[in-house]
Amino acid sequence: MNTPPDTRPLMRRLFERRSLDTLAPVPKFATYAILLAWTFVVLFPLYWVLVTSLKIQIQVDAGPYYIPFVDFTPHLDAWNFMLFQNNTLWPYMNSIIVALTSTILALLFGSMAAYALVRIRFQVKLAAIIAFIVLVIGVIVAVVEFAVPWQVAILAAIVLFFLALTSIGRRFKAALGNNDIEFWMISNRIMPPIVAVLPIYVMFQHLKLLDTQIALISTYTAVNLPIVVWLTRDFFAGIPLDLEESAEIDGASKFRVFFTIALPLVRSGLAATFMLVLILAWNEYLLALFLSNANAQTMPVLVSAQNTTRGPQWWYMSVLIVIMIVPVIVIAAFLQKHIARGLLIGAVKG
Amino acid sequence: MQVTLKNIHKSFGAVDVVKGLDLDVKDGEFLVLLGASGSGKTTALRMIAGLETVTSGTIQIGERDVTNILPKYRDIAMVFQSYALYPHKTVFANIAYPLTVRKHPRAEIEAAVKDVARQVQLDTLLERYPRQLSGGQRQRVALARAIIRRPAAFLMDEPLSNLDAKLRGYMRAELKHMQHELGITTIYVTHDQVEAMTLAHRVALLDKGVLQQLDTPATIYNAPANLFVAGFIGSPPMNFLQGELIDGGFSSAAGSFGTRSRATNPHAVAGIRPEDCRVTTPELGKFAGEVFATELIGDHALVTCRCSGSNVTVKVEKDFQRGIDEKIGIGFDEKALHLFDSQSGSRLA
Amino acid sequence: MPYLSVNHSAFCNTGRYMAVNVSIPNETDRRERVAQWVDRHSGRIMVLPAVLILLAFAIFPLIASAYLSLSRFALAAGSFKLTFIGFYNYTRLFLGVQQYHFLGTFKPFGPLEWTLLAGVMLLLAAWLSRYALTGFTPLGFAGRLITAGLIGAVWFVVLATAVAGGIPGTLLNTLLYVFVGVFVQFVLGLALALLCAQPIRSRSWFRVIFFIPVMVTPVGVAYIFRMLADMQKGPFAPLSHFLGVSQWSWATEAWSARLMVLIGDTWQWTPFMFIVLLAAVENQPRDQLEAAHLDGAGPFQIFKDITWPTIAPVAATVVLIRLIEAFKIIDMPNVLTAGGPGLATESLTLHSFISWRTQDLGGSAAVGYLLLFVSTITCVSFFNFVVRYTRRYQ
Repeated sequence: MNTPPDTRPLMRRLFERRSLDTLAPVPKFATYAILLAWTFVVLFPLYWVLVTSLKIQIQVDAGPYYIPFVDFTPHLDAWNFMLFQNNTLWPYMNSIIVALTSTILALLFGSMAAYALVRIRFQVKLAAIIAFIVLVIGVIVAVVEFAVPWQVAILAAIVLFFLALTSIGRRFKAALGNNDIEFWMISNRIMPPIVAVLPIYVMFQHLKLLDTQIALISTYTAVNLPIVVWLTRDFFAGIPLDLEESAEIDGASKFRVFFTIALPLVRSGLAATFMLVLILAWNEYLLALFLSNANAQTMPVLVSAQNTTRGPQWWYMSVLIVIMIVPVIVIAAFLQKHIARGLLIGAVKG
Repeated sequence: MQVTLKNIHKSFGAVDVVKGLDLDVKDGEFLVLLGASGSGKTTALRMIAGLETVTSGTIQIGERDVTNILPKYRDIAMVFQSYALYPHKTVFANIAYPLTVRKHPRAEIEAAVKDVARQVQLDTLLERYPRQLSGGQRQRVALARAIIRRPAAFLMDEPLSNLDAKLRGYMRAELKHMQHELGITTIYVTHDQVEAMTLAHRVALLDKGVLQQLDTPATIYNAPANLFVAGFIGSPPMNFLQGELIDGGFSSAAGSFGTRSRATNPHAVAGIRPEDCRVTTPELGKFAGEVFATELIGDHALVTCRCSGSNVTVKVEKDFQRGIDEKIGIGFDEKALHLFDSQSGSRLA
Repeated sequence: MPYLSVNHSAFCNTGRYMAVNVSIPNETDRRERVAQWVDRHSGRIMVLPAVLILLAFAIFPLIASAYLSLSRFALAAGSFKLTFIGFYNYTRLFLGVQQYHFLGTFKPFGPLEWTLLAGVMLLLAAWLSRYALTGFTPLGFAGRLITAGLIGAVWFVVLATAVAGGIPGTLLNTLLYVFVGVFVQFVLGLALALLCAQPIRSRSWFRVIFFIPVMVTPVGVAYIFRMLADMQKGPFAPLSHFLGVSQWSWATEAWSARLMVLIGDTWQWTPFMFIVLLAAVENQPRDQLEAAHLDGAGPFQIFKDITWPTIAPVAATVVLIRLIEAFKIIDMPNVLTAGGPGLATESLTLHSFISWRTQDLGGSAAVGYLLLFVSTITCVSFFNFVVRYTRRYQ
């Protein structure tokens, strides 16, 4: 390199860059300083959790100790207890099973629905929707006010629904199209879980599925479906139509086209969506709190359970937080580039 | 203002993209950097603009060494291949941008924009947005934005390649006329040799980062400096015959004939352009072969002949009537023959 | 001649086929017909699982909750009893005994409050009339009227509680967390993204590290910050000793408690903004940037003229995503302060949760529904007026 010496006046030398792909000294220093400062802000709480997991009660109560071996002696008591004595494996397995299964299901159903909404034209009659809502209200009123057994009520409602479809449906033609269906699916995310959780609790109670993995898996899938539809819809809209059309000309059914052509084409976007939904399902607390007890307990609830009547047991909690976050970090480190790109595409087209 | 490049090298990591480029562009000259993709022509242009750093060498604009100066201080303007218009600004704001950024007074900006817009025939479209314009109109906005500052030099990166063929021809003439009127030094990058030949005062032909020849279009066409230049310029391309040269007599598998040279070279290539050849009888021609294919272009036809393993194309009149596999001879004037060394590629005297 | 032979063999084939037909039942035929039926209805079949799941877990609970919010819940004889009471649960939140909880404690207006109220009302009226005069549609006007109504009503409550010296309720707390929180997260995330997009080394490292807070379970983050905020035993104890505040508990004062919730929320969610905005900034059109550099634009001009307009649609969408999620905040206030002091940090979800814990299921459902109401109007308004506006050039 034959870069001649910088002969510009001092202010220019400090603040103005030399070429387009470098930074001037002062902005460079400021940039690194701020980024490193935020790195500290991000990592310090996590460091504190790690350090707390190596403490015993006296050490935590006595005041802050910062560095193991330097200002306090670390103990593996909390780790020992949590990993080997306490029944931590059960909630951990529950978390893994529930998170993985619900993510896969949400991805499967959501991407299928998104693909159909992008490639196939739908027309849902307004009359059908109104009839549906009226019948649901009817079922609820019947079960609650008039003590009709819920199986009978639902059966009657289904029959009435089809009757209504065939009669009223013929008269009123007003219909909702693809955009409205998409909007409905995605807008379900706005609904606060607290509104839905009580009736869901009652529903599972009647089905004798309370405190089971199935209850959690199905609820998590439902809660995360809107996100999957939102993101994958744009991925599918972005792939060229010719590949699918040529496959259909060759005789492939729409399902085969979906699984063998469309899905593989959007796999990096699917990876991003998978990661995002996995994080959400892995960390879900409120629904697990309501719908599970001892049997289907998941990690977030276990973390919160370390807050006993004697006060939070920080050392145990810290161990749990650490073992909760490590697998997620590992997976995310692999997929971090995909996550940003996937969210970007979903965000631009909305 | 003249632009001088001295011994410019550019490498991206281990890859050398531009090697030892020397260029001197005279004041007011229209210089075309011609080459295939990967030849380093766009990189060279971007180095002149300051968008890429120089690995070694110097760039001078006028008397100033601008090698390590930021683009905005080099007093140059660039027209990008994609036009690089700001989509959320009107045509007026786009054209005015170089001046608004330098905080010129409002009245001055307005007058300058209107003047330039009139020159490129955009005066009725000043309040539109780029997405409402056609490709040709967008290109003129990009041009106007470059003109408005009256820079020391224009840099153009394949500005016509996104236009359809008819519009391209029209814009070529417009560009040539405009450059002549403004008299601003222009460095123009393209892969299209027709553009190079029609627009340039001089052409710089690059291959794999190395300058092959820097000359006027006529000289490049009539006296190519090496095999690459000879084969690149000219459509249809020059015919080449491998052979050996003994005391000026060229002998190859296709045939032997005398040349104006007196040299001896065991690895020689003889080149003759299709339009310098004519079809005769096998006895009268310098060498012979059979007709391989005939293509009617319109006002002329092209005959491809197979001469002992080599293909030779001859430009003939449009009502040429010979069947395939017919034996013909090819004749040419010795003056029109080019001789090259097949190993180094350079021209033999 | 080839044509004839095809015909001939087709004729023969048919004969052979029919002979086969007689002896073996046409199972392939039936499978073929099922496959064709499936393909014809493939659209509906593909959408069906998602629709059924959403109907069961979203629509049904929504309607059931609506019914619940219109009833009084009472435990009776091993099961429960629901009595229909109309809108009582709602009216007591707005005008009745629960008004202090939901809206807050009102104080009478002074001149300052009246001026501020008049100012905002005038702005809203101007906005509505401008729409009415240019490109009016009934649906559009109705939508804007609803949005303006909500803004006006919320502003009234803000003035009557926070500004006039009263105490804000859970509605305002939630709105504070949503708007202030998301705004701060956006500004921070954008700043970090712009810095990270500079020509620096180790950009990928920063990207991974900055993303970690999003991956910690929110209830865990809440406990972490409770640990960190401990003025006696937490890591900042020496600092608080030094500043002389170690005996003061931030949890005993309304605004410091709210600030702590916002800090924890910001720590967790700024990375989300950062990741998406960084991808957007990295995807700026390079040629426009280069053209601007050549034209002589400085860094602020480039941000104003190229970066901001390019990332505006993405920024609007990511803010919308965060708005939707921010309305549901519960873990941070519940764990940090259990909604205290008083109700200073209680969010609407927490309000609903507390009502549920006290067996007031009807009230709980009513609060949840009001949250849904406010959240939906805000998010849909934001989408229509901000997100769509940023996409006007596409």
